[in-house]
Formats: sequence, structure tokens, C-alpha cells
Amino acid sequence: MTPRSAHRRPAATRLRGARGLAGWLFILPALAFYTVFVLRPITLTFQYSLYDWNGIGPSTWVGLANYGKVFTDPDLFDSLVNAFQLIVFFSAIPVVLGLAIAATIRRIAASRLALVARTVLFLPQVIPLVAAGIAWSWLLASTGVVNQLLTLAGLSGVTRAWLGDFATALPAVGMIGAWVLLGLCTLLLLAGMSKIDPALYEAARLDGAGPWREFVSITVPSLRQEIAVCVTVTVIAALASFDIVYIATQGGPGNTTMVPGLQIFYLAFSEREVGTASALAMVLMLLVIACALPIQWFAKDGGK
Amino acid sequence: MITGRREAWTGRLLLILMMAVTLLPFLSLFVTALHPSGTYPAGLAWPGDPQWGNFLRAFEAANMGALLWSSTLIVLGVVPISIVLGTMAGFAIGHLRVIGGRLVFLLFVLGLTLPFEGVITPLYYQIRDMGLLNTRWAIILPLIGLFMPFSVFWMRAHFVNMPGELSESARMDGANVWQLFRRIHVPLAMPAISSLGILLFLWTWNQFLLAIVLVDDPAKRTMSGALGAFQGQWGTDIPLLCAGSLLILTPTLVIFLVFQRHFVKALLQGSLKG
Amino acid sequence: MARRVRSGRSGAALVIALGTLAAACAAPGGNSPQPQATATSPASAAPACGSAPITMSGYFETGFPLPKALTTEFTKQHPNVTWNVREDQFAVITQNAPRVLADNPPDLMRLPQVSELVKDDLLKNLDGYATAFGWDKWPASQLEQLRLGQGGRPRGEGSLYALGLNMSMTGLFYNKKLAAQIGMSEPPATLAELDQALDKAKQAGLTPIMQFNGGATGGLAFPLQNLMASYGPAAPINDWIFQKPGATIDTPANLQATQHLEKWIKAGYFQKDVNAVDYATMMSRFIDGQGLFMFNGDWESGNLDKQMAGNVGFTLMPPAEQGGKRAAMSAPLTFGIAANAKNADCAAFFLNWVATDKRAREIGVEIGGSRPMGPADAYMPDVAADKVTASTLAAGADIAKDDGAMDFIANATGAIYAKSWTPNLQKLVAGKQTPQGLLKTVQSDYAGQLEGN
Repeated sequence: MTPRSAHRRPAATRLRGARGLAGWLFILPALAFYTVFVLRPITLTFQYSLYDWNGIGPSTWVGLANYGKVFTDPDLFDSLVNAFQLIVFFSAIPVVLGLAIAATIRRIAASRLALVARTVLFLPQVIPLVAAGIAWSWLLASTGVVNQLLTLAGLSGVTRAWLGDFATALPAVGMIGAWVLLGLCTLLLLAGMSKIDPALYEAARLDGAGPWREFVSITVPSLRQEIAVCVTVTVIAALASFDIVYIATQGGPGNTTMVPGLQIFYLAFSEREVGTASALAMVLMLLVIACALPIQWFAKDGGK
Repeated sequence: MITGRREAWTGRLLLILMMAVTLLPFLSLFVTALHPSGTYPAGLAWPGDPQWGNFLRAFEAANMGALLWSSTLIVLGVVPISIVLGTMAGFAIGHLRVIGGRLVFLLFVLGLTLPFEGVITPLYYQIRDMGLLNTRWAIILPLIGLFMPFSVFWMRAHFVNMPGELSESARMDGANVWQLFRRIHVPLAMPAISSLGILLFLWTWNQFLLAIVLVDDPAKRTMSGALGAFQGQWGTDIPLLCAGSLLILTPTLVIFLVFQRHFVKALLQGSLKG
Repeated sequence: MARRVRSGRSGAALVIALGTLAAACAAPGGNSPQPQATATSPASAAPACGSAPITMSGYFETGFPLPKALTTEFTKQHPNVTWNVREDQFAVITQNAPRVLADNPPDLMRLPQVSELVKDDLLKNLDGYATAFGWDKWPASQLEQLRLGQGGRPRGEGSLYALGLNMSMTGLFYNKKLAAQIGMSEPPATLAELDQALDKAKQAGLTPIMQFNGGATGGLAFPLQNLMASYGPAAPINDWIFQKPGATIDTPANLQATQHLEKWIKAGYFQKDVNAVDYATMMSRFIDGQGLFMFNGDWESGNLDKQMAGNVGFTLMPPAEQGGKRAAMSAPLTFGIAANAKNADCAAFFLNWVATDKRAREIGVEIGGSRPMGPADAYMPDVAADKVTASTLAAGADIAKDDGAMDFIANATGAIYAKSWTPNLQKLVAGKQTPQGLLKTVQSDYAGQLEGN
């Protein structure tokens, strides 16, 4: 008897009492915290978003005007655009590069080096993002290591203050995010690869498939779920980015690195446009769900 | 598997390169931290006279003792409660299959992807009205709520796979639901619980937004929030700032290196499930 | 696997959840604690700190040792008073000011732009204290910037809402060694001479001006406003900063000033990465000898005397024409008392002590590097002539003589610096904004912000 078919009967008979009140007593404390500190604030965010309020005095009902502002005020709308541009760096680079690296090191997975790498590549996941921001601001400064290396490589022509240049500030912030997320994606994909049945590869090789064909027709499809996970985690990290930008650029130069998270913080607490901040917060929350759901759906669908 | 010599070599090179890129920021912080305080060192250059004392000075300047204590208190407030509540709810939803559990579960799942910025404004006013601004409770209580979706989700995933016979035989021995939970299921769930604990510890320790919005006094913040304040305070002295940053990221690093196998497992599983 | 869900009872969860949410139905702001409308402070007897133990809460700016030095000395003289001080960067104070004043009112706080704080009744009206302590008999120019009309507009007249620990002033610091290297023995006397010095420095491979303009802090506002002072009179700029009706920043003289700044940018007089350099980095580089000039304020003179002893000079921005009037950004180091502060009397007593106590005035000069506030005939400590502090103090007297004190253009409204000056100055550096476009954009942002409030 498999556990699956076994546990339905007792759950339906013996534990009947526990399915009602007793069971609910187990859920209630968690639900209470969740309600007070998440559901209620979400509702309030929505409510604030319909008012013009400076956070101190009385408020005025303005309907959906704050949402209009989010999509028409270039400062606000650009922050959303910037967040989507960050996805390229936070998601595309770690996933694509992670796939390539994982596929390469899979072949030496048992070596000592690979074991050490597992530890090292995880370090960025463990430290505070704030520390990553401080370290990278220093690396990317005009006298920083990045420019030092470029000069050594004979590329002194491209050296610049990466975080202070209109053209490179956003990509530079993106690279910090990529640095943080690359290790996680690589290791996730590597773990997924170890689960692929080696027989699949042997069969493909008998058919005369080269490494590239193998990669495209076996590795990538088998990793569908892991890739979806990487994409979800990194897309959310990009859309909801705050710590890195707050430390590295504060949204500058000239708003080129302003992201919704930071904009909400500024609007709500320094400019005291709580209504506008809340409208942007609602848009951000919906965007995150709108991005995460299809990816999950795609992964589940493909898994079957 | 036929592995070309060249391929293996490229693989190693790639790994070494990746590790170098990963370690570069740490190295840069470290080397800069050894320069004389108040100078403006350029690039990666080993100082002529390494100032090891900078770390001691940064330890004092950052008030590290108080920061460690504060972060520990916050972690102790958040993690055990979150685990207990999450495990109980996960047990009821995943194993007891409480009537209506699916709906509640869905409600929790909705919160899984929530960006904290989405609720930070009302949280501020709520915490203020509760009179908790500038206390550690201002970080602890909201974090428990914000971690509930993941904790419940995580523990449910564990309990859903527990065979029902376990409970049946215990019930025959006359155990009530609480005893069943405490004596049979919690011990069996320890691996899932410890992974959850690791993740929650890390997320609490590194929490920044709540710390800077809800608590003004750096000595009552998380490590991460305190680092933000430290940067503000010592930004003119770059070697000291680098030394302080390194000190502030050391505790998680040490804990990670000690428990690294659990960490990697927890983080990988955590993102797979989340 | 099939799971039966009886929807009838499963709604219970939602009911519970929604019940808690119902609390959120009233409009925001309705039931939150409102700050008391500012009662005018007592005018009768001069307030003091008493003799019972008292703990004052302060919120100061990091990196500036003056307030702490003063509070320490104050405690020495009045041992019953202890201080609980929290520090932040000025940008953070600006962000936090409204909510800290409303929700966690400090007794004494370093203040950013005050108009909106006054409008929201977050600051104590100091008129009563001014009468009791006789502050209204000090030179009027010291307090002008701290007076506001009803509802926060205009500034420059009306009730007193803050006081300065001293009068700070901005100009040009220069590195004497580097100056000698390009043959500059005297500070430039005209704008043309300054241009020549900058050009010589550039030719010599030096960084002519070390400035900050990165992140959320557009430090090119310092040279810009100094150029504005060279090209035109100070009064219209003050009117704009004080939000007087009809005032505009978009004037022909200011356009010339902005064009001049653009010329400096294009000539490469600022370091190349100016858009990535914050205040702290600028300071550490200037101290490290990496720039000939630096536009900054006399609040650094004490610090620079210590870190670059004998190697640093200070001059006011030279006028466009020889012998022309000089003007400078000059503002009190503004401190105020929260409307709901617990120990307002003691805070006011402290502010008065800072301006009148002999030792406090010495500390103000030695550590603060600026002129103390207070009566015109108050005690002035001696400063060795070779110190840059001596030059900044002398410059302060010159400005007073020429009536050239201007508030900072970044102080016109609460959000004008972060939202308008900073991004536009950063764009000017990157060649993405023209001088005319910059002034027009700032003016329209300014008008929008006044309208919105």
C-alpha cells in the first residue's frame, strides 16, 4: 500500500474531530499574525491609494487619480520601466550564464574544486544586500578595482565611474544583482541536472547528437521546473529591489536607477505623498503577481 | 561518460573564474580596510603598513557588541514563534486537512511573492499607533506576519507527505490532536523545521527595509539596518567603512561556514518550493 | 487525490480575516494622533533647565562634531542635564524629519528646510522664547531665514521657528601646495581670474575643482549658486528661496551663471566622476590633496585645519567685476524644537546658552569653524591668523558688510533639492540638460510643489 492511498481513510474517519474546531485552533495563531501584519496592511495600502494624504493631516478622497499619476508622471512611470530593465540583469544573466556554467561543471561535479565552488558561490546569498551594495560601490568607483582591471587589460578608454554615468548606472546596479543571484541559480540548475536520467544522454549520443544538441533537447527541457524557479525568484528580486539601489545610487544620477521600491519609500516618508506611494505600491504588488503566476503556470504545465 | 580533457579543463577554469568574481568584492573590502584610516586608497593595492587596528576601531565605532545583541534578540523573537506558528498551521492544513484549509492555504500562498515595500507605509502607521515605533517589536511582530506565508507553505509541503497511519495508530493509543502533533509529528518534521529555521534566521538578520523605516536607533536594528547607518556615519573614512562592513557581514558568514551543508540544502529547497 | 471542500464552512477563514480588515474603513488620518497646534512658548520668566535630573533627546547630523561638543560642555556646566542623541546623515534627516517630529518628537533637532514642517505644525513657535531671552535684539539678518509667515509661507518674515548654532557660510577652499604649483599666490579677485586659475590647474594636470554630485545630493548646486552670486544680486534669489509671490529662478543673470557652470563642466574643471562622488568621498579626496579648489562651507574649516594644517585657504566667490559686491550662501546651522517636545524650555535655554556663553562661543569657533549667533557685541574668541578658520570668520564679516547673505537654493522647498536640482545638475554634467532647460525645469517643479502644498 502506498502512503498516498493509505492516508485518506484515517484522515476521513479517525481524525474527523480534528478537521473542525481542533484543527482550526492550530491555524488561528498563524492566520492572526498574517491578517494583522499582512492582509490588513494590504487593504490599507489600497485604501490610502484612493486618498490624497500627507501622512499627518486630514485626507481627501481622490478616487483613482493617484493611479493616473503613476502612469503619467514620468518620474514614477520610469521607475517601473527601470525595474523591468533590471530583470534583464537580475534574471537573464544568472539564468543563461548559470545554465552554461552548470552544464560545464556537471562534468567535473565530483571533484574537490566543485565542492569548494558550492560553498564559495553561495556567499553572496548569505551576506546582507547592503554589504553587497557597499562593496560593489567601491569596486565600481572611478578608482575602483573594475577600472583597475580594465586598464590592465588595455581598455582604459572605457573606464568610468560606473554608478555615476547615465549610460551605465542602471546596468551597473543590474550587475550587482546578477552577482548576488548567479550562484544561487547555478547551484539550483546543477542540482536539477543531477536528477536527469543519464540514459537519456546515452540514447542521444547513440543517435549521434553533439553536446549542443544534448544541451538543447535534453538538459534544458528537463530543467524546466528549476529554470522557472530561477526566473521567478530573480524577477521578483528585480521588481522589488531596494537595498542595493538605496546603498549604491539612491536612484541617481538623474533618476536613471530609480526603482519602485525606493520611489515608494521616498514618496511615503520624505515627500509625504502617501496616496501616490500607495498607488505605486499596489501597482508593484500586482505586477509581481502578474509576473510570477504565468511562470509558475508554465512550469507546472510543462512538468506533467 | 566520455569527458574530453579539454572540456574538463574549461570547466575548471570557468569555476575558478566564477569564484574569483564572487570573492573579488570581499577581497577589495579587506585590502581597503587595511589602509591607514582617513586615506583614499585606489583599486587593489596592498598597503605598505597594514592597519590591523582598523578592525578594532571599527568594532568600537560600529558598536558591534550592541548590534550583535540586538540582532540576536530580534532573531530570537522572530524565528521560534514563526516556526511554531508555521508548523502548527502547516500540520492542520497539510495533515489534518481541516475543513476550509484549502481556502486558507490559498490566502497564504497569495502572500508568498509579496514585496515588503507594498505594505511598508501602512505598517509604519500601524506600528506607530500600537506605540511600538523604535522598539525591536516593530521589526519582530511584522516579520512574523510577513514570514507566515512561506513558513506555512513550507511546513504544509512536509506534512502533506506524512502517511496517515502514523496518526491513526497514535489515536488508537488515545492521544489527542495536540499530543499527536507534539510527540509524533514535530520530531519527524525536524529536518524541515531546521531548514526553515535557517532560512528565517538569514532573512531576519539581513532585513533592511523594516529596520530603517520602523526603528531609528541603529542599536535596536538588525545587522543589515545598522550597516546602513554605519555607512552614513563613517562614509568619509573609507578604510574604516570597509572594515566595519566586513565585521558586520562576518556573523552570517561564520554561521554559514559552520552549517554550510544545511544552508545550501535549505536555500536550494527553499527557492524550489517558494 | 480528491479533497472535499465544503464551501459553507470554509468561508469561516475569510470571515475572520475580513473582520480584522473592517478596522481599516475610516479615511486615513482621521484617528491618528494629531500634533497639537503650536502654542506660543511662555513669555514671562526666562525658561531654564531647573535642577532636577533631565534627559534631553537630540537628533543631530553625523559627521559634524559641533552639536555634540556643545551638549557635552553644557552637561559639564549643568550636570542635571544629560543628552540622548541620535545621529543621521543630513539626507536621512531630511527624509525622516516630518515623521520623527510628529511621532517621536525630539527636544532639539537639526532641521532641514522648515516651510512644510511649520505648515504642518510640527515645530514649536519660538517667539515667546525670543522675547524672554532677548533674541529679537540680535542683528535681524541672523534670524531672517528662520522666520516664517502663517502656514509656512513666505519665509523671511513672521514668527521664529528655529535658531542657529552658528552662521555657516560657503565659498572656495583651496589647497595651498597645489596653488603654489600653478603660481597662484593670492586667491582670485574676479571671476575671470578664477577662470584663469582653473585653466592653469587643468593645464598642469591637476583636478581644478573637487566637487560632489552623486546619488541623491547634487553638490554642483554649491558652485552654481556661487556663480549666481557673482553674476547678480542676492535679493531676488532670496525671494525665490523664501517663496515670495512671483519670484522666479529663471532670470537672465542666473542663466549666465548656469551657462558659466556648463562651461566649467565642458572644460573638464570638475573631476570626471563628479556624478558618482558623494560628499564624504569629495572630502576624503580633497584632504588627500586631489583637487585645487572645493566649493564647501566653513563648517569644515575646523576639520580642515586639523587634517590639512597650514595647507588650506579659503576665499569667498569672487565677483564678476573687480571690487564688486560679494555674496555667499550663508545660513544658520538650523536647530529647532519639536512642537510636542517634552523639554522645550530646557532646549530653548540651551540654544540661548550656545549663543551667549563664553565657552560655548569658543567651541562654536574652534570646532564649528563659523561665526556664532548672538548679540552683535558678544565675545569673539581669537583664532590664529594662519588658520583657515580665521579666513572664514573674516569672510563672514565681509558678507555681513556687503549684505550678501543668501540662503541655499536647495532650501526653497522641502523636495526641490532631491527632486529637481539634483537630477537636473546630474543631467547637466552628462550633457543631457541645457542651462536654459535646467532653470525652466526647476522653476516649473518649484511652482508645482508650491501649488501642491
